[in-house]
Amino acid sequence: MVDQKEIEHLGDLVKIDLQNPGKYIHQVDQILNYFEKLDKVEYESDKTLRKEILYDNLREDRHEPYLSDGKALVEYIKRDQNNFVRAPKMI
Amino acid sequence: MNLGISATEYLSLVRNSQISVEEFIAKTIDRIKMVEEKVHAYITINDQDALNKAKLIDKKIRTKEKTGKLSGIPISVKDNICTAGLKTTCASKMLENFIAPYDATVVSRLKQEDAIIIGKVNLDEFAMGSTTEFSYFGPSKNPWNNECVPGGSSGGSGVSVSALECMMSLGSDTGGSVRSPASFCSVVGLKPTYGLVSRYGLISYANSIEQIGPVARKVEDIALIMNVISGHDQHDDTTVKKDAIDYVEGLDIGIKGKKIGLVQQMTGDGVDKEVLSATNKAISKLQDLGAECVPVSLDSLEHSVAAYYTIASAEASSNLSRYDNLRYGFDLGTGGYEFKAYVSKVRSNFGSEVTRRLLLGAFVLSAGYYGKYYLKAQKVRAMMKSQIDEAFKKVDFLIGPTMPILPFKLGEKIDDPLTLYKLDINTITANLTGIPAISVPFEISSSGLPIGIQIFANSFEEKNLLQAAYALQQSVHLREVPL
Amino acid sequence: MIKIGLEIHCQLTKLESKLFCSCKANYRNLETNSNICPVCVGLPGSLPLLNKKAVEKASMLSLALGCKIPEHISFFRKNYFYPDLPKNFQITQYNAYGPTSIGSDGAVPIEGKTIRIRRIQLEEDPGRLLYEGSSEKTQITLVDYNRAGTPLVEIVTEPDFENPRQVRIFLNVLADLVENLGVSDPYLEGAMRVDGNISVQNGNRVEIKNVGSFRDVEKALHFEMTRQQSLVDRNIQVIAETRHWDDARKITVSSRSKEEEQDYRYLPEADIPIILIKQDKIESLRKQMPESIVDKKERYIKKYGIPQQVADVLSSDKFYSDLFEKAHNESNAKEIANIITTDLMGFADTREKKMDLNLTDRNLSDLADAIIHNKITRNSGKIVLQEMLKTSKSFSEIVANLDLGSMSDTSSLEKIIDEVFKEEEKAVSEAKQNPDTVNYIVGKVMRKTKGKANPNTTLEIIRKKLSV
Repeated sequence: MVDQKEIEHLGDLVKIDLQNPGKYIHQVDQILNYFEKLDKVEYESDKTLRKEILYDNLREDRHEPYLSDGKALVEYIKRDQNNFVRAPKMI
Repeated sequence: MNLGISATEYLSLVRNSQISVEEFIAKTIDRIKMVEEKVHAYITINDQDALNKAKLIDKKIRTKEKTGKLSGIPISVKDNICTAGLKTTCASKMLENFIAPYDATVVSRLKQEDAIIIGKVNLDEFAMGSTTEFSYFGPSKNPWNNECVPGGSSGGSGVSVSALECMMSLGSDTGGSVRSPASFCSVVGLKPTYGLVSRYGLISYANSIEQIGPVARKVEDIALIMNVISGHDQHDDTTVKKDAIDYVEGLDIGIKGKKIGLVQQMTGDGVDKEVLSATNKAISKLQDLGAECVPVSLDSLEHSVAAYYTIASAEASSNLSRYDNLRYGFDLGTGGYEFKAYVSKVRSNFGSEVTRRLLLGAFVLSAGYYGKYYLKAQKVRAMMKSQIDEAFKKVDFLIGPTMPILPFKLGEKIDDPLTLYKLDINTITANLTGIPAISVPFEISSSGLPIGIQIFANSFEEKNLLQAAYALQQSVHLREVPL
Repeated sequence: MIKIGLEIHCQLTKLESKLFCSCKANYRNLETNSNICPVCVGLPGSLPLLNKKAVEKASMLSLALGCKIPEHISFFRKNYFYPDLPKNFQITQYNAYGPTSIGSDGAVPIEGKTIRIRRIQLEEDPGRLLYEGSSEKTQITLVDYNRAGTPLVEIVTEPDFENPRQVRIFLNVLADLVENLGVSDPYLEGAMRVDGNISVQNGNRVEIKNVGSFRDVEKALHFEMTRQQSLVDRNIQVIAETRHWDDARKITVSSRSKEEEQDYRYLPEADIPIILIKQDKIESLRKQMPESIVDKKERYIKKYGIPQQVADVLSSDKFYSDLFEKAHNESNAKEIANIITTDLMGFADTREKKMDLNLTDRNLSDLADAIIHNKITRNSGKIVLQEMLKTSKSFSEIVANLDLGSMSDTSSLEKIIDEVFKEEEKAVSEAKQNPDTVNYIVGKVMRKTKGKANPNTTLEIIRKKLSV
């Protein structure tokens, strides 16, 4: 059963300040209840359908500087005058 | 000038200088300006650049320079596919002003073949939704009835093609996002086999199941664009190395002698009567063309919606973590904030559907629940795949309605997520098992709303799939969009 | 009973490019955020492309540490928010749902004890954070992503260490091993980082992080062991927690923000296919691996008769054993090993000094030959070596310049001996009585010739003159 505490915990895990947690409690709970049916599934394989790639086909270890339109990537992202990305303080 | 002609017809007119690309593009832009108010397909219109490109292509044709396979074709691109120099917003506040420094591989392949990117089209935020109502920029509307949803999440793709605002579109299909709007807007939409089309430059939502797919008014146009966008890409290790296939060649070969399985679980309870009768009509048309139809049961579909939303939410919660506004995003200085508080504040700008799925994703992946949800969902996938493999030993194609119901009113189901999720039941089979599926317009209901029929084929059997879809398309003549 | 386990992060510094993109693996001394691309800063739409060589190096390390390599390896995402992590998840490996990391179940022998390796995983390094502003209110975090995506292996041991000394020995063995294998340069700043966890009898497990250099790990563990023991002795419970090593005060400190049990929500990384490593591939990698330190040591002892202790020291130092391999021939191997271990290693013992070392293998070989053939004495050899390192002139030039040719010409040597006899009458008569004291006179001769006299010839002449 999803309650206020649980929804706030989930909000913290995905780092979202929930403006209206009440709205999500009911919906998330309802959907998770629907997901419950998965628990009854009995099947031996959980083999994913992911592609396999041979070791030999992986990317070669070569350095290539990134440029787009003659500009380095840093010019496309938020940065200060010293090219650092500014983040809030850490406590 | 008829904006509704197929790409194949258009190309021959352009190559013989019977019409100029510039003229056609200009007319298309006029059309966009005329109908956008009613349908809201576009987020960004690339009009000036498109006209410039058009002039260049006309010049190439005049001077008998070699032109590409998609010369002058106006194509809209879903706004979760990166286009260098043109905003890619994902219909989200979080990427409101984001301009990628690179083209998605599909976009650069289109450009190489002289296609014209006419604009970026609307979607549910980060492709999460099936109505296009969850766009930060407001919903798109169904050209067949402006009070109805156009389907989604690639609503802008379906609408722009249906409303003659472009000739083709690229969408993305995670759980039916190309086929649902194709069905609701009476156009063709293909979800290719996972690994056939590069995802490089597609902004991830559920990366283990989504594919970029084309939307067009005709199956032959889908074949044409697949010749350009499919194939291995060195920027995407999940694409498969295979010999190139010409999807156009032999498209009209017919389906005589082919075996088609009608999926029982797609025609049971909860399916609209008119949808059901259209499906049965489609079956008899195909039989008339010489195909044999048999019933097929895939009982694992009972768990497919739960499995799909478990996997998609889980992957979404990880894929969307990167949006912390530090490296790109909207303006909000970091001064005075503590890291967690800042990130949680900026991320509260996600819309309600994205937020819901992120919360669900966090739950199903959290310690102690992985085995109960995520692992079980993977088992469902494996089980579905094995049932699909079995089915394709007996039949060449599977068939069913694309959507179980007719297009519905905007706002009608917006606060009922579970009901919306369950509408994906017919489409998600292709995503969870990786196989290709196509939605073909088949009928217009008594209320004037489109009904699409979905055909599935085995992995990498797109060529056969398109032949079957073409046969079905040629068996009906539908009226034009009333817009 | 003390139990210690380690988690060692070791950068694969010998690679050209990062783990999932083509930016430089060597992020050091570059301008801020100049070594970045859409992949390593996690721009929307980018996809990781795994570096083949990283898999190769990590495989070799796994083999060298006795680990099993599974036929299929795969990657997972470890989800947590941190500003140095551009995607807010780290691509790593995870074995909770079956062994899919590059190595597992290994073992490393040290001093008659076996340290079991639980697993080796390949993962990406995060970016680097700097802090600006002094007060808590004005503080800002600055991020440089040049390091983000640098290839790393994490080596996790079982809690098999019984004391901090074993940890030091293990880390030295490991550092020599990764260097010899050509996967990493462990002495490069930040290339090898060690976290430890330690518990004493009746106490909880404590994790120690942030130990700046891996040489301080022993100190940190020792401090922690003593702290925990004294708590237990006083019947105070040892709290399970994470503590940081305070390098300035040389103590461990409880992490200020009480990190709640992190829920990393591991998830398979679907953008990277499952990598199939066939058995024959593993065998061919095994063949490409450089000779192990143990084999090298055996060869030095058996083939060249190098004493065990010298062979031990020489074989475990990648730089000097490489120099040895280049310089030696059948006849001078032993002498070269001797010069390296007694003179060179003391002279250049740090990474920087080794890099600056001005010594060609040819010069070293010539020097050893001259000593063997009595052209110069061992003593003069030391002087020549110093001069080589200073000037990088050739061996023959230095010997000529400094007039260090060995005095084996007996007539001039006899003259000097006669002079010494005159100066040291008392010693001479003593030596006649007691031949054991003759070495004193030999010493005097050596001093007078500035070490050029061949000590054996000198002794012979003195003995003859004194008839002893």
